[in-house]
Amino acid sequence: MAVLEEPIKGVPMVKNYIGGEWVESKGEIIDVVNPVTCETIAKVGISTKEEIDAAVKAAQEAYPDWRRTPPVTRARYLFRLRELLEENFEEISRIQTQEHGKTIDESRGETRRGIENVEVACGIPTLMMGDSSEDVASGIDEYLIRQPLGVFGIIGPFNFPFMIPLWSAPYAVAAGNTVIIKPSSEVPNSQAKLAELVEEAGFPPGVWNVVNGGRTVVNGMLDHPQIEGITFVGSTPTMENVIYPRCGATGKRVIAQGGASNCLVIMPDCNVKATIPSLMTSFFGNAGQRCLAGQNLIIVGDDNKFYNSFVEQVTEAAKKIRVGNGLDESIQMGPVRDAEKKQRIMNYIEIGLKEGATLRLDGRKPKIEGDYPDTCFLGPTIFENVTPDMTIFKEEIFGPTMGIMRAKDLDEAIQMCNDNPFHNGHAIFTSNGKYARKFQYEVISGNVGINIGIVAPMAFYPFSGMKGSFMGVLHTQGKEAIRFFTESKVCIQRWF
Amino acid sequence: MKLQTASETISFIKELEEKAATFYEELAKRYPEKAGDFLSFAKENRKYIKQVQMAYQSVITDAIEGCYAFNLESDEFSFDTNLPENATLAEAAQKALQIEGKIINCYSIGVEQSGALLADVPRNFKIVVKKRNNRLDRLKSFTGR
Repeated sequence: MAVLEEPIKGVPMVKNYIGGEWVESKGEIIDVVNPVTCETIAKVGISTKEEIDAAVKAAQEAYPDWRRTPPVTRARYLFRLRELLEENFEEISRIQTQEHGKTIDESRGETRRGIENVEVACGIPTLMMGDSSEDVASGIDEYLIRQPLGVFGIIGPFNFPFMIPLWSAPYAVAAGNTVIIKPSSEVPNSQAKLAELVEEAGFPPGVWNVVNGGRTVVNGMLDHPQIEGITFVGSTPTMENVIYPRCGATGKRVIAQGGASNCLVIMPDCNVKATIPSLMTSFFGNAGQRCLAGQNLIIVGDDNKFYNSFVEQVTEAAKKIRVGNGLDESIQMGPVRDAEKKQRIMNYIEIGLKEGATLRLDGRKPKIEGDYPDTCFLGPTIFENVTPDMTIFKEEIFGPTMGIMRAKDLDEAIQMCNDNPFHNGHAIFTSNGKYARKFQYEVISGNVGINIGIVAPMAFYPFSGMKGSFMGVLHTQGKEAIRFFTESKVCIQRWF
Repeated sequence: MKLQTASETISFIKELEEKAATFYEELAKRYPEKAGDFLSFAKENRKYIKQVQMAYQSVITDAIEGCYAFNLESDEFSFDTNLPENATLAEAAQKALQIEGKIINCYSIGVEQSGALLADVPRNFKIVVKKRNNRLDRLKSFTGR
């Protein structure tokens, strides 16, 4: 298969989009590097405090008119954006692959998920409806209306450069707020393309802003008194130590989504043939860099024959994964985002070995399809003999690794899931409804999979998460996002 | 060549359909008495391309096993469209039936392999196979058998 054409040509400067203008940052300029080729594909500025302040000012100025724009009209802007996203579907997808490294199938999947959030937000006239009660006392009526709040900050991670800001932004602006998006400076091109389409869709200046950069921008958002709330997706330490406490200190509402170390429980009665591809996607898709990726595979029961056969099939499937350039349509796994992240994963592999796990498949020296440097590439790695006290169970690796564990029965497997510090997307594979229901009922997990390896909620459901994977009350996506981005105002009236 | 990802499978199917469409357009020129039928087949093929592409782009999400959904051997479904210059309509129709057989086989095996994984894509493959059966009857009638 031929390698698809790269959409980013030359080395463009990724600019900020502030108040409807494209502005080059005055901050330090850094390279955006394609992890497959290790070539610089763009440059981006690390924006200054003045630049984030300018974006807040633009968003604040745009807010009064935008909130007065009727929801049906705001929805029409989103409908136009949705059409433009469809028209640019392939280019958007290839940009993600070029800047992040994921396969083209994965990028198209990400694009689709992003568009679905815009589609759901198009329903804002209905989603934003309040409640009313007649005669709460004789002649007195009471009703609730939802009102926007102002400017929101949206802080995106590197692993889904296009989709994740769309878990928040469409709902925020649909509800009448204005937004400032800070993409990861490692992958800024996807959000730049999205902002181009926002501009083309005709959104008023200042409603949708993008400020590239790093900590200065994040701090500027967290400290700014005119930012009403923050949505964040990133690591658990940043969520716990920076985002959540700082939002609390400055009185901001917050949705903070952190990391994970998800457990996939295998019952001996599972449909093995259908389960194996699900496991490949779950553990090794996106090179393991997603907060819903499987990290721990818990095989239930003392049937050694089943265990050995299942592990053998999983290992054989993992060995066959084609690693390379995601723009080659035959590739099943791309690189990790950069050399530093690769090293971090390699360190975890070392830690796993030191703590007593054994390697069934070593992905540290992968076979790469095509002539590319191995700087950011890893192959699938499979550990056996992993136990719940090991670091590779308790910490998020965020790479293409699978730690195989054993549990004597379903109760013990659920206990292992619940003892894990993270509770984002645990799953069970079984043909038995009773096991499935028990798992769903007892497991502590924001998203629960039953014969699903990646428990990614559709846009009309909240992207849940619990304990070490989430801080806040409401979640991104769907109706919960609308509640987050609006204030409930209760009115009680009577007429004399 | 093995086709494993949804992306390369959809690209391959587009190639097959387009190649067959071009073949039918050629037949329309050679056999004007059946030009209407052959041109309608070509048009249908291009509609199938759009249908399958739409199904793929609608259903592919980050939760779907897109990179592991298939295991097709492309050589099994490849075909040539060469026809001798003096081929009769019956011979041309026989050739078309062979081509249709290859394409139907590709879709059918694709359904078996991805049925549990890709939801709407195999469902659309089935629809295309079902619609093609009418075409097979028509082509058979051209062979005079």
